[in-house]
Amino acid sequence: MNYASRRTTELGLLVLGSMFVVGAYLLASLPDDSPIPTKVGPFLGLTVGLPLAAHVAMRRLAPQADGMLLPLASLLNGLGYVFIVRLDEARDTPRGLAGLQSLWMILGVGAFVATLMVVRDARKLERYRYTAGFVGLVLLLMPLLPGIGRVINGSRIWVSIGPVNFQPGEFAKLALAVFFAGYLIEKRELLAINRAFGPFALPDPKHLGPVLIAWAVALVVMVSQRDLGSSLLFFTLFLVLIWVATERASYLVVGILLFSGGAYFAYQSFSHVRERVELWGGFWALIGPAGDKVTQIDQAAFAMADGGWGGRGLGLGTPTNIPVVESDFIYAAIVEELGLFGAAAVLIAFLLMIGAGLRIAQQAASGFERLLATGLTTLLGFQAFIIMAGVVRLLPLTGVTLPFISYGGSSLLANYVLLALLLRISDDIAKRQSDQLAAHQLTEVVG
Amino acid sequence: MTKQIRNLGVFLACCYTALFLQVNRLTVFQADELRNDPRNNRAVVRDFSRPRGTIETVDGVVVAQSVESDDRFKLQREYPTKDLFAHVTGFFAFQLGSAGVERTYNDELAGRTINFSLKELGDLFVDRERVGNITLSLRNDVQTVARDALAGRNGSVVALDPRNGEILALYSNPSYDPNVLANHDFTAAAAASDELNNNPERPTRARTYMERKPPGSTFKIVTATGGIEHGGVTADSPSYPVQSEYSAASFGRPIGNFGGGSCGGTLFPILQESCNTAFAQMGVENAKALGMTASAEAFGFNDAPPIDLPGGVRSVWPTEAVASDPPRLAQSSIGQFEVAATPLQMALVAAAVANGGKIMTPHVMREVRDDQDDVVDRFDPSVWTTAMEPDTAELLRQAMISVVTDGTARALDDDVEDNIVVGGKTGTAQIGSSDSSHAWIIGFAGPEGEPPSVAVAVIVEAQEGVSEQTGGRVAAPIGAAVLGQALTAPTQAGATASN
Repeated sequence: MNYASRRTTELGLLVLGSMFVVGAYLLASLPDDSPIPTKVGPFLGLTVGLPLAAHVAMRRLAPQADGMLLPLASLLNGLGYVFIVRLDEARDTPRGLAGLQSLWMILGVGAFVATLMVVRDARKLERYRYTAGFVGLVLLLMPLLPGIGRVINGSRIWVSIGPVNFQPGEFAKLALAVFFAGYLIEKRELLAINRAFGPFALPDPKHLGPVLIAWAVALVVMVSQRDLGSSLLFFTLFLVLIWVATERASYLVVGILLFSGGAYFAYQSFSHVRERVELWGGFWALIGPAGDKVTQIDQAAFAMADGGWGGRGLGLGTPTNIPVVESDFIYAAIVEELGLFGAAAVLIAFLLMIGAGLRIAQQAASGFERLLATGLTTLLGFQAFIIMAGVVRLLPLTGVTLPFISYGGSSLLANYVLLALLLRISDDIAKRQSDQLAAHQLTEVVG
Repeated sequence: MTKQIRNLGVFLACCYTALFLQVNRLTVFQADELRNDPRNNRAVVRDFSRPRGTIETVDGVVVAQSVESDDRFKLQREYPTKDLFAHVTGFFAFQLGSAGVERTYNDELAGRTINFSLKELGDLFVDRERVGNITLSLRNDVQTVARDALAGRNGSVVALDPRNGEILALYSNPSYDPNVLANHDFTAAAAASDELNNNPERPTRARTYMERKPPGSTFKIVTATGGIEHGGVTADSPSYPVQSEYSAASFGRPIGNFGGGSCGGTLFPILQESCNTAFAQMGVENAKALGMTASAEAFGFNDAPPIDLPGGVRSVWPTEAVASDPPRLAQSSIGQFEVAATPLQMALVAAAVANGGKIMTPHVMREVRDDQDDVVDRFDPSVWTTAMEPDTAELLRQAMISVVTDGTARALDDDVEDNIVVGGKTGTAQIGSSDSSHAWIIGFAGPEGEPPSVAVAVIVEAQEGVSEQTGGRVAAPIGAAVLGQALTAPTQAGATASN
């Protein structure tokens, strides 16, 4: 395989994606009667300049990495930005989210380049697995600390230090992915030993400790921070990695049983969990059961029904009557204005990213890299799934952001770092293969 | 690990497929269920932000228009003439819905009618607002005269063109300001709506075509029609006895004349004097129950006039009650008992006489124009009902003219030129046995030798005094003012003059 051509592919895809985003921006601005959108200069800088800057960095820092991930992420990020601008302008009193999001995009791409520069070899991360584990746990529980923890919209997932507000959970999941990958690859032999319990093969109880700890931490996060999404994501990440590492499906069974028990307990004990489930209304519910009270999921459903096949058109819908539409519910705005086709395009973009991520995981030479790539892909794909599933009423709503699309600085930064790590692993694979190839050819010449 | 990673990919692919299927349900397969959910107000919000045509009178006064607003709806509906045309335009409000022309011609105003769609292909390359502007048949000057002449008293004025059914004035007191209901401050709009609805006088109801009152002696035109067409009454015979009381049967209260006077004679004198005893006798002995019912229903009683405004009510002729009860038939023949009519219906009675017996479908919409001022739709005049034969109409026309020249409606031609011929009939409908009454006048007018071009009905409600003079004294001057104004040529007010 000619890995050098990957950058050309990337550049071509980036140009295509940027054209789409710029077109979408112009369309979204049209209904406002302004012949030329006033902020088109800065906008072009953001949606064309930033991906190109990332591309240039890729050429220098990870020249042989996968060529699809960056264009897909840029496309989703650009699409999300167009919607955030469009939603902000539609409000009677704009909240200034568009300006902030452009700052987050610059910082995000900066973090992307920085990660590529600092992490020159993904395998070296394995050494810092316990540090990563500690950092991850601290970040995860940080919002619980008195003084710096903040409750916003009912969830205690924010930390404010000085002027900076951020969601440490977004970064915790990356640190924990590194930790799980390192820890599980180290213990996989041990953890893979099953004992027969009658007809069932179950993990030896004395190795169940890590599972129980992960489960307990997930419960703590759910109960004390009221953050169902992060809790679910964190536990899923652990479960997927222990299953992939040990190749024992029994862990999945145990994990799902534990999860079900925890979920039932939470449903019985905590009103905020019960409320989420009741507002969801079951797998086939189309509309909320709560009398004539219209919830945000109902508003989202009305918006998407308005979209139909082709959508109402960019800037032509009325998505602003969905609460928190810029962050958690941005997918509903996309479906309303771009219709089933736009909705499917977003799903396909995420699926292509998942595909690329898992392909990297399959090709990685070291076990650590395989697990890390699997974990990072799971984080991306599963987080996108649970928030979109909540918005379209496939699952109860769990408030997490839609990666690359939603408004939010912490989320965007963390996902750009995630992307950089995946690409770093991809570059490692390619480099090693071409080294091997060169060595092989050298041997032949010598021989 | 390879197998597990592959299975993970399969699992995530399944998750996303489920997402895709669910989005299909929401946007396509079950979208109608969501769109029709009573809690879903998105369609209303959309219509609210959409350009909407103006409504203007035939003499060019804008009575409803959309102006830019700074809120989320972008457009605010405005009624510059406030209460003057409230019962015609109605209102277009977010939570309170719509009424009047805003309701009946909603699709035209929003530009959704077939005529527009057919033109759209050529419009693809032109930046146009595809809305319909409605020109009413009403005239601002006639409507203003009607309001001023009522001078705040509860009552109604209906003026129309008998030849084609075009309404020229449709005003009733009390009225209201539609702007308060179209307010985008929904709390204020709801409060204003509650206040209007709790008002016992019900200002939002158009008394012109939504409220019935006993028509009193104006109904004698219907009785005369029954007498002529079903009872052999002519201009010369019979001559009803001069008497002060008429008893239709051995039971029941006899019919008396106003002030206890005596009267009688042939058709013209009894109509000029509005002789109760004679018309009661005509109804009972000449037309009889069947003939009276046939004529009343031929005029449209017991059926709501198909006016292009929502919420119109029928006028009542008590068919069952009079069938075998002569005293009730006698009462009904002079427009009392259970007979009740809307001012619109009574204007149509006068219009029938003026138009050779045919009542044209009454309507307020004259034409719909697009943004280029091209007419895209025009109201096609049609006959609603035939009240009588042309010969009967001609006889009654002469009789009603004699009421103005020699009878109780002398005040009705006070405001017209000398060459204008005016016919009319007064009415005073006693309210129960009180000493107050509804004062009525109906009439028509037009240049000599031509079919009358205006018919009018006026009611001033609950006036002091019960005598046949009440209708002539109170209502006739209003009718005269309206007829006088309606016979002048309309002048163009605004720049958006219609042709």
